[in-house]
Amino acid sequence: MTKLQAKNIVKHFDHNGNSVLALDGINLNVEEGDFICIVGPSGCGKSTFLNVVAGLEKPNSGEILLNGKPISTPGPDRIMVFQEGALFPWLKVIDNVEFGLKMAGIPKGERRQISERYLDMMQLTKFADSYIYQLSTGMKQRVAIARALAMDPEILLMDEPFAALDSQTRDLLLVELQLIWERTKKTIIFVTHNISESVILGNRVVVFKNRPAKIKKEFVIDYRRPRLAEDENLQKYYHQILEELKSEVMARIKDENQ
Amino acid sequence: MSEKIISEKKTSYGSLDDVANTALFMAVFIGVWQIVFMLGIWPKISLPSPYMVAESFVKIIWNHSLPVSIGVTLARLVAAFVISIALGTLIGLVMIKFKGFGKMLSSFSAGLLSFPSIAWVPFSILLIGFNDFGILFVVIMSSIFSIMISTYSSIRNIPPIYLDAAKNMGAKGFYLFRHVTIPAATPSLIIGIRQAWSFAWHAIIGAEILMSIVGLGHILSVGRDFLDMGQVIASMITIFAIGLLVDRLLLFKLDERVRRKWGLDQHR
Ligand SMILES: Nc1ncnc2c1ncn2[C@@H]1O[C@H](COP(=O)(O)OP(=O)(O)OP(=O)(O)O)[C@@H](O)[C@H]1O
Ligand SMILES: [Mg+2]
Repeated sequence: MTKLQAKNIVKHFDHNGNSVLALDGINLNVEEGDFICIVGPSGCGKSTFLNVVAGLEKPNSGEILLNGKPISTPGPDRIMVFQEGALFPWLKVIDNVEFGLKMAGIPKGERRQISERYLDMMQLTKFADSYIYQLSTGMKQRVAIARALAMDPEILLMDEPFAALDSQTRDLLLVELQLIWERTKKTIIFVTHNISESVILGNRVVVFKNRPAKIKKEFVIDYRRPRLAEDENLQKYYHQILEELKSEVMARIKDENQ
Repeated sequence: MSEKIISEKKTSYGSLDDVANTALFMAVFIGVWQIVFMLGIWPKISLPSPYMVAESFVKIIWNHSLPVSIGVTLARLVAAFVISIALGTLIGLVMIKFKGFGKMLSSFSAGLLSFPSIAWVPFSILLIGFNDFGILFVVIMSSIFSIMISTYSSIRNIPPIYLDAAKNMGAKGFYLFRHVTIPAATPSLIIGIRQAWSFAWHAIIGAEILMSIVGLGHILSVGRDFLDMGQVIASMITIFAIGLLVDRLLLFKLDERVRRKWGLDQHR
């Protein structure tokens, strides 16, 4: 069943009076239970696309359908792990994780149970009562992931959530996220710079063109799970995607030097 | 845990240091004052000695004029300040809700921000009268604009990412306002409140000098009328001390607590 449908999404931004086209007609069908990875050069429009899906940014044209119905506002059915973390500095770590649960009216005891489970998964139990400034960048990112998972959304939108993690933690979470996905049958859209990450996680990998973003190519990665970072068999996918991406990154660099 | 203990120790040493520094400064100040007095440059009536001022202090405490004045002044101040905060916040919120109105009013109030509080006095006497309400009016007009502007700009300057994250989790309406907008704006709101407090404090003393028959400003002007420099200086010291105490013990503490929680005090 089609969970989410992006239909011809166009988005421009105003840049000091000039209009900059960020998304140039994105069409994407996300099936229920899909794990889609989006890769593309920096500044191409990946975050913008997630923001549109989340309902935080209105497209100039096109629409997003969720379960066949158009959406235009944000909602807890599409939870985002923001690239910047976006944690609340006035709340303790554990209260950050419980923010959305509290709003959803989940009673206190149950809330505690859920938040403790995910903090434990992210190995942050010891920091439950810390404030955000007391955490490292990687720890903040893990709190943001815990907060999103605790919400148990229909669709999880993740914007480079592993970018700030050390490789050991990243490898652990790569496996953890695959297990969560298999267990909960969640639909995930995951943006990353890192091609091996996309190959390990995605059952589909979508390559975005340099700005304005369009979908350049899509790869289906049909391989057993849980996939491990060191698995040699993933290399061939890696190289195929790298080949596609290289020219886009070169295009971006050329763009910027003009 | 051990980290916490260390940091608490550090702050309590910090405030001990503060007290020691202040005491040292006072001692030097009083010493210099005494020396200047003994040089006899000014007649005694223009510049009394520290001891004579202390005598004036005892006198005005003994005849109850000082405690009564402090009580009256603080009561007026609190009343005016509460009204100022309530009304100023409300108008600030309306400014955010209606953008055009907000823009217009924010440039208008920026002008009134630097308007001298004393300059409201004649207007207030003619409009309201030579009474407590007239004084309240002066204090409110002197502090409300900084509350309005600070509410308006603090909320507008909230990083959009906080609101995005909250909306993403389903927050909207009053919940969003109460649990995200207000806390996110708090560090900056406190700065506005401190500023408004200092404006209000300026205003009430000025207003009391010109339009009151009780209060700290009044005993200051009585001192002048009777050429009693001891009483003038004693009143000034009281005004200074109250201003300092309220700012340090209340507003500064509040500010510091919020800043620590937010990690805004990490500058090295
Ligand atoms: N709020 C905004 N106002 C103006 N321009 C914007 C805004 N947000 C994004 N852009 C522009 O849109 C383009 C796409 O930005 P976006 O953040 O989506 O890129 P990205 O693919 O997520 O990049 P990265 O991988 O570096 O995070 C960029 O050129 C950026 O300058
Ligand atoms: Mg991005």
